[in-house]
Amino acid sequence: MTERSGATVELRGVTKHYGDTVAVDHLSLTAPAGRISVLIGPSGCGKTTSLRMVNRLIEPTSGEILIDGQNVLGEDPTQLRRRIGYVIQQVGLFPHRTIGENVATVPQLLGWPAARIRARVDELLALIGFDPARMRDRYPAQLSGGERQRVGVARAMAAEPPLMLMDEPFGAVDPIVRERLQNEFLQLQRAQGITVIFVTHDIDEAIKLGDRIAIMRAGKLVQFAPPAELLAHPADDFVARFVGSDRGLKRLALLTVGGAELDPPVDPTGLNGAPVLSPAMSLRDALAQMLASETQVGIVRDGDRYLGVLTLAHIGRLLRTEDQR
Amino acid sequence: MTPGEPLIRWDWLVTHAGEIGLRVGEHLELTVVAVVVGFLVAFLLSLAALRIPRLYAPVTWTAGILYTIPSLALFALLIPYTGLSLLTAEIGLVSYTLLILIRNIVAGVRGVPAEVRDAARGMGYTDRQILWRVEIPLALAVIFAGIRVATITTIGLVTVTALIGQGGMGYFILLGIQLFFSTALVVGALGSVVLAVVADGALVLAQRALTPWTRAG
Repeated sequence: MTERSGATVELRGVTKHYGDTVAVDHLSLTAPAGRISVLIGPSGCGKTTSLRMVNRLIEPTSGEILIDGQNVLGEDPTQLRRRIGYVIQQVGLFPHRTIGENVATVPQLLGWPAARIRARVDELLALIGFDPARMRDRYPAQLSGGERQRVGVARAMAAEPPLMLMDEPFGAVDPIVRERLQNEFLQLQRAQGITVIFVTHDIDEAIKLGDRIAIMRAGKLVQFAPPAELLAHPADDFVARFVGSDRGLKRLALLTVGGAELDPPVDPTGLNGAPVLSPAMSLRDALAQMLASETQVGIVRDGDRYLGVLTLAHIGRLLRTEDQR
Repeated sequence: MTPGEPLIRWDWLVTHAGEIGLRVGEHLELTVVAVVVGFLVAFLLSLAALRIPRLYAPVTWTAGILYTIPSLALFALLIPYTGLSLLTAEIGLVSYTLLILIRNIVAGVRGVPAEVRDAARGMGYTDRQILWRVEIPLALAVIFAGIRVATITTIGLVTVTALIGQGGMGYFILLGIQLFFSTALVVGALGSVVLAVVADGALVLAQRALTPWTRAG
């Protein structure tokens, strides 16, 4: 696979009116190259409308949308869409085409030679964990929901787009499959360096996947920040309520045991029953184990090396120092 | 019917095999022309109705009115203009196919899931590509259902066209009535039914071959 970088997407004062209703109101934000920017907010906040304006499935009433500095409103919409991956919740695989043909959709539209398309299809099927020979000629009806969603992602990536638009792509599968799809997608996205704009209404998904999260309300952007900052410093009550009253715990999920201060090593025999934690573990998981133990502390080990003891006070102090940053 | 005459005189069938073949050919030709022309007309009207939704109601009203005119009355109306001709027969036959075909073509295309259309547009299909590569193929099952009904209906109606001298199995039915000859009557009536059953079977096979994905899963 060739190393390539994603596109930078800039929205400048993008507005969409439907009659007297304002769906999106002067939205300005920059989705950095190679990162996942999540649009989130309550129903009707304009997140999906905003997403669909980027590939001109919806035409903005005013404002500019730039991809790598080029205004998309000056481009032919079908040509534009062929350069942008598009994934939706209901997937929308073509029921009358095989999995291989579905994945080949955009390369075919772009007129790639047949041999290159075949190679790319097999590469992508392998990338999403399918055996190409076994899956290529099946029809979507023969796949499970999770498998279809994977094919949807592969189809969107087929022509190596520098940008992908994803509208609640993992919203229709059960929680276990969703988590697996999220992890697989993160790996793919990191490996390929694609810029992603991702719409969800699930704050946990936003925190997990987003490099930056844009919280929208009634067509307006309320806050656009990395997840840790959003959790530590919600811009207003609306954001604070939206991220949830457990935002402290959510922040812990983003921090690791290795980042906390520790008490110096003491004789671990005195800490009978204390859980053993590794520096890479999330503080949220560490806290859960510590609370369940009698001692309320954790022994931090990096392989054979005994690093020290983690206490509840240290976790609290870490949250407070992060707050001041 | 002449007393003592059997329902079917098998020797008559043998001596008239050539003519039966000829009438079957006429019957099929009348049917195929009617369904093919009817489909083309219905297809164009359906495309127009799909593009301009407010056309759909007047188009189906018109087709519906045509459908309700009794076939004999329609032929009688047309004869002053087009005579006892093939054209008269086909105008009638074609107009009876339109309602079912238009309804099914439009319903088939409208029944394509919104997300499939959205994905197609989002990946850069043009409107024309969406129609021909997505909507029509996915509508095929419903369109074929319409073609099957139109074909069976037409095969039945073609028996009436014998009244305006266009042959087909109706020729034998008329002959049977005129001569009180049950063999010809049975050949005409049963022949028409057999043709309908065979044509329907052939269309089912054609649909299966054209829509392999409907049997997957």
